[in-house]
Amino acid sequence: MAQINAVLSKFYNDYMSKTSKKLKVIDAYLFYILLTGIIQFAYCVLVGTFPFNSFLSGFISTVSCFVLGVCLRLQVNPENKNQFHGISPERGFADFIFAHAILHLVVMNFIG
Amino acid sequence: MKNPIILIFAFIVAAKAQGNTLVLLDNQVIKETHSIFFKSLQDRGYTLTFKIADDSSLVLSKYGEYLYENLIIFAPSVIEFGGNLNVDTITQFIDNGGNVLVAGSESTGDILRELASEVGFEVDEEGAFVIDHLNYDSSDEGQHTKLVVSSENLIDAPVIVGIKKNIAPILYQGTGILADSENPLVLPLLTADSTAYSYQPDQAIKEYPHAIGKDTVLIAGLQARNNARIVFSGSLSFFSDEYFTSPVEKVSGDLKSAKSGNEDVAVAISQWVFKEHGRLRVKAVQHHKAGENAPPHDYTIMDDVVYKIGIEIYDNGKWKPFSANDVQLEFVRIDPFVRTTLKSNANGVYEAKFKIPDVYGVYQFKVDYDRVGFTRLYSTTQVSVRPLQHTQYERFIDSAYPYYTSAFSMMLGLFVFSIVFLHMKDDEKKSKNE
Repeated sequence: MAQINAVLSKFYNDYMSKTSKKLKVIDAYLFYILLTGIIQFAYCVLVGTFPFNSFLSGFISTVSCFVLGVCLRLQVNPENKNQFHGISPERGFADFIFAHAILHLVVMNFIG
Repeated sequence: MKNPIILIFAFIVAAKAQGNTLVLLDNQVIKETHSIFFKSLQDRGYTLTFKIADDSSLVLSKYGEYLYENLIIFAPSVIEFGGNLNVDTITQFIDNGGNVLVAGSESTGDILRELASEVGFEVDEEGAFVIDHLNYDSSDEGQHTKLVVSSENLIDAPVIVGIKKNIAPILYQGTGILADSENPLVLPLLTADSTAYSYQPDQAIKEYPHAIGKDTVLIAGLQARNNARIVFSGSLSFFSDEYFTSPVEKVSGDLKSAKSGNEDVAVAISQWVFKEHGRLRVKAVQHHKAGENAPPHDYTIMDDVVYKIGIEIYDNGKWKPFSANDVQLEFVRIDPFVRTTLKSNANGVYEAKFKIPDVYGVYQFKVDYDRVGFTRLYSTTQVSVRPLQHTQYERFIDSAYPYYTSAFSMMLGLFVFSIVFLHMKDDEKKSKNE
């Protein structure tokens, strides 16, 4: 138990000190999406699947936002620079916005 | 001057109305001994062509066209047909819709046995009679083979044999037939009583008889899948003038009649086998949405739909409305999704109203009316059922508001995040520059 606590506190400290502010913002954004998705899923389990297309579009929109967020986080993380050389963080962000535009168009179309 | 010509012409047309029939006989005597039966056919408009069964000029078809619509074989002992007639050509004739009436006897020849087995019957061995020691006629000569069969033993189908209870007891002398019980198309038109069996009357019974009790079929019928009809009687004398006119008196019991029921049954069976009776056809099929008149290009799920089918029956040379209360409609997409009994209107029009299920796909309206004695009525109409159009779905459902909120909050989240993220980036650069 003590070891786990030690691991966790080290993890937390490292995260606070070594992670750049930019990534922390992304993490906060991802956390917010995760929470929305979980609430929606719980609501669907409780209420039933009746407007199934609405549920699908709502839930898929959170899942996709999460995936896109993770992708952005991978691209702007300086540690992954050698994997994405030639792709600047600005380019990554532009891709991110473009993917979102398409995603939300589809979601709005399907939500009913 | 004109009238007689028209009359003669009308007479010829009427005479031709029922189609050509080839009658094969063992010898010319049969034509005389069975004259009542043949006369009843001629009176109903059949053109009978009498030929001896081994006449070398026999042909059923010429240049690929059949010369006859019906074939009567009253030649039990024929060993081989003459001309180009054989079991193959007769089965082909049946496959092409021809009707066949065959009468055998105790000495049924091999070629008739072969023909019988082609259509699902088995004729008992040579020399075998149907024997019944309890139900024989008083004029029997001691072997108890001249049976008196109650009209109760007829098949329960008025369209084939007429109304059972109006028919006098029937005389029968001949061999027994075994019907293939696994063949759903075979109909036992007349069966023997439960005390009957089929064996050679002058021999001691050493083996188990082939046919016993009610399994002994006296007259068997078959309606093939192409609606061709075949009747096989184990007795030629069943159709004879002697049996038609003779009185019936069962030795024990009260079955008694001044005139046997043979003529009624034989005429009814000949009317059935040559398709004067029990011929159905579809007149018209209509389907449309409730409240409309024309069939739409496609249906939408949950539409109310009206289906109408007109059914006609052939009666005395004319097609007349057919009435029944057991015609069913199926709405099928591989499996039936809806099965409903059609309501009979006047004029033989049957109607059903139902709601298309909440499943889209390619469906068929299917009416499959298959009743004993009637030709099979099978009608399918294919329609496509599409899902709701994009604009037909329900909108702004209360229970879906959380999903709407979440979708918009995702957009708002993205907006806020973008501002913060871009703003942060400047901070980073500044801090890097520092």
